[in-house]
Amino acid sequence: MLNPNLFPYLLGLSAFLFTVGAMGVLIRRNPIVVFMCIELMLNAGNVALVAYGRFLNSEEGQIFAFMVIVVAAAEVVVGLALITQIFRLGRELDVDDLSEMKE
Amino acid sequence: MTVLFAVVIALAAVSALGVVLSRQTIYSALSLVLTVSMLAVLFLLLNAQFLFAVQLIIYAGAVVVLFVFIVALLSPDAEDRPTLDLRAVIGIAGVIVVTALVFIAARNGITYNTNGFHATAVGGASDPYHTFKFPQDTVNNAGNVQTVAGQLFTNYLLPFEITSMLLLVAAIGAVYLTRRSSR
Repeated sequence: MLNPNLFPYLLGLSAFLFTVGAMGVLIRRNPIVVFMCIELMLNAGNVALVAYGRFLNSEEGQIFAFMVIVVAAAEVVVGLALITQIFRLGRELDVDDLSEMKE
Repeated sequence: MTVLFAVVIALAAVSALGVVLSRQTIYSALSLVLTVSMLAVLFLLLNAQFLFAVQLIIYAGAVVVLFVFIVALLSPDAEDRPTLDLRAVIGIAGVIVVTALVFIAARNGITYNTNGFHATAVGGASDPYHTFKFPQDTVNNAGNVQTVAGQLFTNYLLPFEITSMLLLVAAIGAVYLTRRSSR
């Protein structure tokens, strides 16, 4: 049996991971690290979903967390393809310099 | 059990900070491995065995390997340590405020149960945690993967099929973006 007092800590961890990821998106300039921070934010959502699912005795939290993982995998594939393409164009890897997507 | 939760939560939080604050990109990727693995252990402790396996295989196995591969391929220079400019101050303030607000809200019982959102004091007679129908461990008896799969392939079959479509679109998009002649 799970201690119900754990639940605020799990939601707190979820909020912490999400805001740390958002802070990383704000302050980092390397697009690879920005993508890692987006992964952190998606994982934070998963923690909240699984915690709610566990404490409400329902499987739906796990199912939606599974969907979020699939979306994260798709997002990272396209994002890293974009990063390699930017690198191939000879640009510097810095999101502040990439304010326009012209070729 | 509680000690294990505390260790896992602390390690996940610290390594998440490592992802953001590391100077070298490869250290960020390694911190991400630790975060993702700790979250996998957390899923296992929360009785989500299927997600534990998926998290380890997809995140620690595929996504982070892809990140490390790209870092090794492009070998980006080390960035200056993030300076304490306006963006960083707003970010740090946001982390502290949002985490504290969510923790306090959850602690005071603003949460969702079958009757809707509730705001009741912790420990009182109307505390939702005292009146919650906590799992009778039916999930454990039936096998958690089995119950999740049962839901996934009956009630949630359409979203499941749509995610396969999404993966196909992502694969085609990645091939299109990285083809050799771009014009």
